[in-house]
Amino acid sequence: MKNSKLTSPEKLARLKGKLLKQRQKQRPIITVCAGTACVACGCVPLTAAFREALKENGLEDKIEIRTTGCHGFCERGPLVVLQPEGIFYQQVKPADAKSIIEQTIQNGELVEKLLYRDPQTKQVLTHEKDIPFYSKQMRLIFGMNGHMDPTSIHDYIALGGYAALARSFLEMQPEDIIEEVKKSGLRGRGGGGFLTGKKWATCRKAPGEPKYIICNADEGDPGAFMDRSLLEGNPHAVVEGMIIGAYAIGSHDGYVYVRHEYPLAVKNLNIAIEAAREFGLLGENIFSSGFDFDIKVSRGGGAFVCGESTALMASLEGKIGEPRAKYIHTVTSGLWGKPSTLNNVETWANVPMIIEKGADEYAKVGTEGSKGTKVFALTGKVNNTGLVEVPMGMTLREIVFDIGGGIIENRPFKAVQTGGPSGGCLPESALDMPVDFDTLTEIGSMMGSGGLIVMDNLTCMVDLAKYFIHFLQEESCGKCTPCREGLRQLHHMLEKVTRGEGGVEILDDIERLCMVMENASLCALGSSAPNPVMSTLKYFRNEYLAHLEEQRCPAGVCKDLITYSVIEENCTGCVVCKRACPVDAIEGEKKEVHKINSDICTRCGICLAVCKFDAIFVE
Amino acid sequence: MQLSIDGKSVTAQTGEYILQVAQRNGIEIPALCHHPAVEPSGACRLCMVEITHADWGGWKGLVTACLYPVQEGLIVSTANEKVRKVRAGVLDLLLARCPESELIQNLSRQYGIEKTSFIPRPEPDLCILCGLCVRICEKIGASAISTIGRGIDKIVSVPYETEENYACIGCLACATICPTGEITFTQDEQTRSIWGRNFELVYCEDCGIAIGTPEQLKHYSERSGLDMSYFTKCDRCRNREAAARFARITF
Amino acid sequence: MTLPQAPLQNILDKHPHDESSLIMLLQDVQEAYRYLPPEILVEIAKTLNVPKAKVFGVATFYKAFSMEPRGETEIKVCCGTACHVRGSTLIMDEFKRTLGVEEGGTTEDGKFTLEAVNCVGTCAMAPVIVVKDVYHGHMTVNKLGKLLKSLNPKKAKTTGAKAS
Ligand SMILES: Cc1cc2nc3c(=O)[nH]c(=O)nc-3n(C[C@H](O)[C@H](O)[C@H](O)COP(=O)(O)O)c2cc1C
Ligand code: SF4
Ligand code: SF4
Ligand code: SF4
Ligand code: SF4
Ligand code: FES
Ligand code: FES
Ligand code: FES
Repeated sequence: MKNSKLTSPEKLARLKGKLLKQRQKQRPIITVCAGTACVACGCVPLTAAFREALKENGLEDKIEIRTTGCHGFCERGPLVVLQPEGIFYQQVKPADAKSIIEQTIQNGELVEKLLYRDPQTKQVLTHEKDIPFYSKQMRLIFGMNGHMDPTSIHDYIALGGYAALARSFLEMQPEDIIEEVKKSGLRGRGGGGFLTGKKWATCRKAPGEPKYIICNADEGDPGAFMDRSLLEGNPHAVVEGMIIGAYAIGSHDGYVYVRHEYPLAVKNLNIAIEAAREFGLLGENIFSSGFDFDIKVSRGGGAFVCGESTALMASLEGKIGEPRAKYIHTVTSGLWGKPSTLNNVETWANVPMIIEKGADEYAKVGTEGSKGTKVFALTGKVNNTGLVEVPMGMTLREIVFDIGGGIIENRPFKAVQTGGPSGGCLPESALDMPVDFDTLTEIGSMMGSGGLIVMDNLTCMVDLAKYFIHFLQEESCGKCTPCREGLRQLHHMLEKVTRGEGGVEILDDIERLCMVMENASLCALGSSAPNPVMSTLKYFRNEYLAHLEEQRCPAGVCKDLITYSVIEENCTGCVVCKRACPVDAIEGEKKEVHKINSDICTRCGICLAVCKFDAIFVE
Repeated sequence: MQLSIDGKSVTAQTGEYILQVAQRNGIEIPALCHHPAVEPSGACRLCMVEITHADWGGWKGLVTACLYPVQEGLIVSTANEKVRKVRAGVLDLLLARCPESELIQNLSRQYGIEKTSFIPRPEPDLCILCGLCVRICEKIGASAISTIGRGIDKIVSVPYETEENYACIGCLACATICPTGEITFTQDEQTRSIWGRNFELVYCEDCGIAIGTPEQLKHYSERSGLDMSYFTKCDRCRNREAAARFARITF
Repeated sequence: MTLPQAPLQNILDKHPHDESSLIMLLQDVQEAYRYLPPEILVEIAKTLNVPKAKVFGVATFYKAFSMEPRGETEIKVCCGTACHVRGSTLIMDEFKRTLGVEEGGTTEDGKFTLEAVNCVGTCAMAPVIVVKDVYHGHMTVNKLGKLLKSLNPKKAKTTGAKAS
């Protein structure tokens, strides 16, 4: 395999031509999503079943099975898409493999029960592109996922991969690349929204050698998984972006810092890097240009704070992941005190597209201040959970209701949380706001990593604020006083609120403490930690007041303020709840109304879940 | 270069930090995790000051004086209302952490806090996690201690398990630098004890006072490249001897 | 207790011997031994020429590492945001109650370690738990009891660990 090196851009182009021809020949392809969620609901036995069925029908050589990264619509997994037609089957079981092959592949008939039925219109839809979940999206970054095997560099090249790299080396000087990225208006997708081109320019000019470039794949937001899916499903896009960046900045050493719980991402990334080396796209003398660059993959140790730039660099150096003051920026003095550029996974994945399409074309998508698309992890109490990619500036309403299909069981919408633990909760009145960096910050939240968690009337906003503060308390590095001590106290205070204690005055104490943390913390973990609290206080103060003044949790969540009881009229005396109760808190004879003893009840919710007659009442 | 601190125009050198310049000019800023012998770290957050600049279009913000590099034309307020409020908040939190620390009690009092408004830590010690001990041990000791754990559970300690795992040389630098007196040691004629470990003592050849532990002197010798024979006398006797030698040469 | 040295040697051979390898080394040790035995930490400190105190500092800072042996089966309850709003607290509480351990704790018989983890990437199935790399979605307190039974069929209801 030594001669597989692509020593020039022309060789890359020739290889692409050859691969495309092959692809044409092989045609029908069964794509099986092998993203994390689809694996979790059984795509591995499904793939085996397909192979089996192909063999039975003597089709192994005529039809290809391709396992891909996440298609985004995890809610309906395991997903199967038949290409080139784009026939979309959902929730496919191994037992269905046979009928798909026999009916659709061989006879051109659709398997009706596997097609997607729009819950609103009841319409049955055949093609991926017609499904509202997809049709409203703009899948510029994620689109490729569904069309390639992430472990195959051939697939990536056939789809136009590494063309941008060839273009950079062939037609552009490092300065031109930086200029192009500046002109595109690309802003960092890791949270802060910092202008990528500007960062690169400063790093390029900074004195000191060597220079490092780093990809931040720590993805610490406890409710987001798009960086993971990108690395798992399309690692070459990130690698290509990094090579282009390295060339532009003048760096020869790259690092990817991956969250420790992402073994598949690490595996696929390493396969991609290995393949890129083999093809001469990484390593020495790339495209015979004399430019050297290579990438090392580093697994994180499990600390949210290590997503922060200086802590991440400390961790790469093998140290405790404590941040340091950034009055001198990491672009000037970062990893081992050298100029370093850190960008998020999605930021790097945007780069090839900018170079390939040109900055002007790229910048046509998005808003004045935020260009391009953004991937969100749309989750919570929404019908279509999954990864969605939309142009910047789309409204939250479109994302939640058109793409997300609205709230589960048509319950009322209450809030949407953006930006993870450093972000904020936005109420219904914000639904028509365009989603971009500046708007979200203005209304008291932030883009953050792109987690988008939808909440309904059964979510308690005080409990949610407490949840984030608890998370941050566990993750605070403990270096500085306001964050370490402040989070502990803030958590105490919120616990009091969820117990209905402390009176209304406690809200002033909370606000005062938040002010101190915001102003005095060393890093953004501490200084933005008040956001979930302050935003819920701003938009949902009434809920805090209900806890404090009436000792009532309107959403029925806070265990100290709720009681479980039996609605006598509904209870049939079926004994199901009595049997299910783990602590024997329910009394009652067969066919008689049951009764819950609140002194024993641990508010575990089992009886509510098992009762078939809606006879359990929570207040 | 020139900058202004609390309305006073002061001179500073590139590479200096606000705290140094303020201290030189007699302007007091409380600073708990700062010591001239070690690198600044910015952990205690007590030295917050407000900065702005004529060219910043009205932007102002709080920074830590111990870490913010001076620049021409910088305008610093070290004690305005906002600064005092934030510092008071930090002290209130520290007082909840270490209610028994006299140092923190005294500082808090200066900011009008007699008792913490927060919930005091159960079973408090005197450690404010300023990290000075770890930094000084790294610099002149033997890198024998480290922070262990993270967040609210963080402590300063020697490695776990047996004594032979300790690299501590008994130099007492950590105990000397600790601002709150959390690190304690004992010493009598024969032994010095710190971090749960007992050390023998070496005495000055001339006057007989204790000059350190054998481990400590060996460490100094290795670090400095000076022969062990250099470390047989205490500083005073060595100086006296040197002075005598000097006198012989010149007169 | 003496520990097998073979895995350690393999691990040491795999990485360059400098400070920046420390975290990766610890990860491999954690995987091989299911915890970080102190004597191995001392060995690593020597090999990498990093102060022992620092190695302990790093080992106790990151969540991926534990200083005590973890249970044979790790039960990971996703406490990510999406799972939280869909009720992971109830699941966690019930595990704590039935196993009699706190978050991060290991049962006395060394069978189970209960762990809270962040988003495992399958929010569509929230609330999710992961046991032996198998994902269990749409968890309810009800399903949990059945699952535990299937994992631990022999364990009598009232007794704890067998003396060993
Ligand atoms: C506590 C904390 C956690 C962070 N976690 C992440 C993360 O998981 N992933 C990420 O890309 N950026 C994270 N960031 C932001 C990074 O510090 C940094 O701004 C970003 O990686 C820069 O890349 P970008 O310009 O491409 O956005 C975090 C910041 C803070 C303060
Ligand atoms: S703000 Fe929190 S996470 Fe950041 S340095 Fe301070 S203690 Fe550590
Ligand atoms: S909520 Fe749980 S503990 Fe309370 S009565 Fe129902 S089943 Fe029993
Ligand atoms: S006494 Fe021990 S722990 Fe303290 S500074 Fe000296 S060597 Fe370090
Ligand atoms: S022991 Fe003393 S010097 Fe060390 S961190 Fe605690 S207070 Fe600071
Ligand atoms: S994992 Fe298959 S659609 Fe997301
Ligand atoms: S002295 Fe500046 S932060 Fe402690
Ligand atoms: S939050 Fe639990 S799987 Fe995402």
